[in-house]
Amino acid sequence: MTALLGRARSWEGLLLAVLLVIAAVNVMYSPYYLGIGNIVNLFQLSIEKIIVVLVMTLIIVNGEIDLSVASVMGLSACVMAWLFQMGVAMPWAMLAALAAGVVAGLINGFWVAYVGLPSLAVTLAGLIGYRGVARILVEDRAIGGYPLWFNRFGQQPLLGPLTVSIVIFLVLFAVVAVVLHRSALGRLVYVIGNNLQAARYSGVRVRRVKLALFVASSVVAALAGLLYAARLGSVRGDMAQGFELDIITIVLLGGVSIFGGSGNLAGVGLSILVILNLRNGMGLANITGNTQTSVIGALLILSVLAPNMAQAIESKLKGRET
Amino acid sequence: MKKILLATAALGMLAMLPQVASAQVEATPGKPVKMVLLPKFLGILPFDQAHQGALQAQKELQNTTELQYLGPTPENSVAGQIEIVTTAKTQGVGVIMISNNSGDQIVPSAKAAHDAGIKVVTWDSPIPSGEGEDVFVAQVDFTETGKVMADMALSIMGAEGGKFAVLSASPDAANQNSWIAAMETALKDPKYAKLQQVGLVYGNDQSEASYNQALALVDKYPGIKLIMAPTSVGIVAAAKAMQDEGLCNKIKVSGLGVPTEMLAYTKNGCAPEFALWSFVDLGYLTYYTSYLLATNAIKAEAGQSFKAGRLGTYTITKDPTRKAGLRVLMGPFSKYNIDNVEAASK
Repeated sequence: MTALLGRARSWEGLLLAVLLVIAAVNVMYSPYYLGIGNIVNLFQLSIEKIIVVLVMTLIIVNGEIDLSVASVMGLSACVMAWLFQMGVAMPWAMLAALAAGVVAGLINGFWVAYVGLPSLAVTLAGLIGYRGVARILVEDRAIGGYPLWFNRFGQQPLLGPLTVSIVIFLVLFAVVAVVLHRSALGRLVYVIGNNLQAARYSGVRVRRVKLALFVASSVVAALAGLLYAARLGSVRGDMAQGFELDIITIVLLGGVSIFGGSGNLAGVGLSILVILNLRNGMGLANITGNTQTSVIGALLILSVLAPNMAQAIESKLKGRET
Repeated sequence: MKKILLATAALGMLAMLPQVASAQVEATPGKPVKMVLLPKFLGILPFDQAHQGALQAQKELQNTTELQYLGPTPENSVAGQIEIVTTAKTQGVGVIMISNNSGDQIVPSAKAAHDAGIKVVTWDSPIPSGEGEDVFVAQVDFTETGKVMADMALSIMGAEGGKFAVLSASPDAANQNSWIAAMETALKDPKYAKLQQVGLVYGNDQSEASYNQALALVDKYPGIKLIMAPTSVGIVAAAKAMQDEGLCNKIKVSGLGVPTEMLAYTKNGCAPEFALWSFVDLGYLTYYTSYLLATNAIKAEAGQSFKAGRLGTYTITKDPTRKAGLRVLMGPFSKYNIDNVEAASK
């Protein structure tokens, strides 16, 4: 048991070591790596994903999963684009996009928390359904031509070299850290993730917590969809398609158990840095997309296997002792 | 350092001025230009052929800087292309050659690269708004595509003519739709009066769906003599379907296809004639155009002529297919039949 605790504690240590190795290799490999512009790009190129990662951490610690986030990103961008094209003023179109996020979150949360269906199935349906609506709204077009201030919203630096999206990410990181690790709600998230039945019997309002988390997940995804639209300056029906896999990868690599109840935001923060620096380094070294995907895939397999194997070895050793 | 670079660039431009004024510019070989060739995604034969063509041009132009052939995965095409363009900007390359798969979503990153002094040349598929792009190297003219298809239909079905059907990619594939429209316009010529188009189906550029759609055409329109497939996936699937069903004596297949993939079907008579532009040449011309732009030998403006090695002379014009943007038109089509298909598929 002590060994297990030690390993859990050292997961972040391991990630930190990996991060340092990646950074060192990048520095050696490319003279451009340490430039401010590159560091900002490194975040900016994946900023929408890592914003969603933060809320996904809460969901997975809670013992659930939300596969529909990328489709909600697409839905939000398409709702905005569709309304904008019909002549609705931009601020209202954006508000409607966020409202679409609320609705999607309520639907997911209702079926999971109040009907008791598995979130894997519910949000898989969401993944297909919300994407379908997005595609119906925009059809096979690209809708662009937004006001300049909206495009700036995704691209323009706000604080020094930091863009609006990066500032939003940093603020949200702080908020999630406080909620998860310093608040009563955070403790409930862990308790429910650890043992749903025990939580129920001890009077925890499980359903409310779950519903709130799914709504938060979809609203943040909707916001990320708007930021993505602003960064690209044009919206298509296939926007953000497949992002959910990258998002979940980062959370799991951060040491959050897919079965819920364990993991922390520090690990996820490190995991974000590991993935982003790895991608950036491979990009600067001109390594192509297929290889990048395989490397990150291998990393994920290791991150899931390593704890289980450690556990298996540990219990075998213990078995010998007795 | 930047100043020195600018000064050299300025000097270079001065040195080139007399040549710009003349009708034809030739490339000065041996200049080190960092170049990135960015296909829609990796692992697609025509793009690899374009890469081969670019490498030929690189050899001729003695550019000692390695050509970077970088592409995203198909599932991540949009974000991946944007990432590669952004990284290329960070690396300060001289020119990026993009087969754009991201519509106008590539614009912010292309513009950022362009503003940083990097030449942005598109090939195969342009940036729709033309923003952030220097010039588009186009494969063939859409009108000509229609005429070539009509001609092939006529030559296969012969003077007595007959019914034929079209197997396309997806209902919203912009290229295919404009080619088919161009063919329908071409068919109005009295020369093709005996050719009758009876059906149009979509195989969504997937082998199995295209195969099934080709068979469905046979059932639906008895008596058709030809299936015209203006897609490299569809044409192979249709030819295989006719071969498997032993229908090749009655129903022929034609359209746009890659010689390597079509070799067997041309040899066994299922697809006696098809056409395609050479992707090798497209890569070659794209590389030449980009090298000339990056070395400031030519400017991206209408009326600029230049010589592109073995392919001859080209002129930059306004792109008539887009509201804004410049174009270099490669053309013409290569038609393949039993006489030349073997040589072309090597």
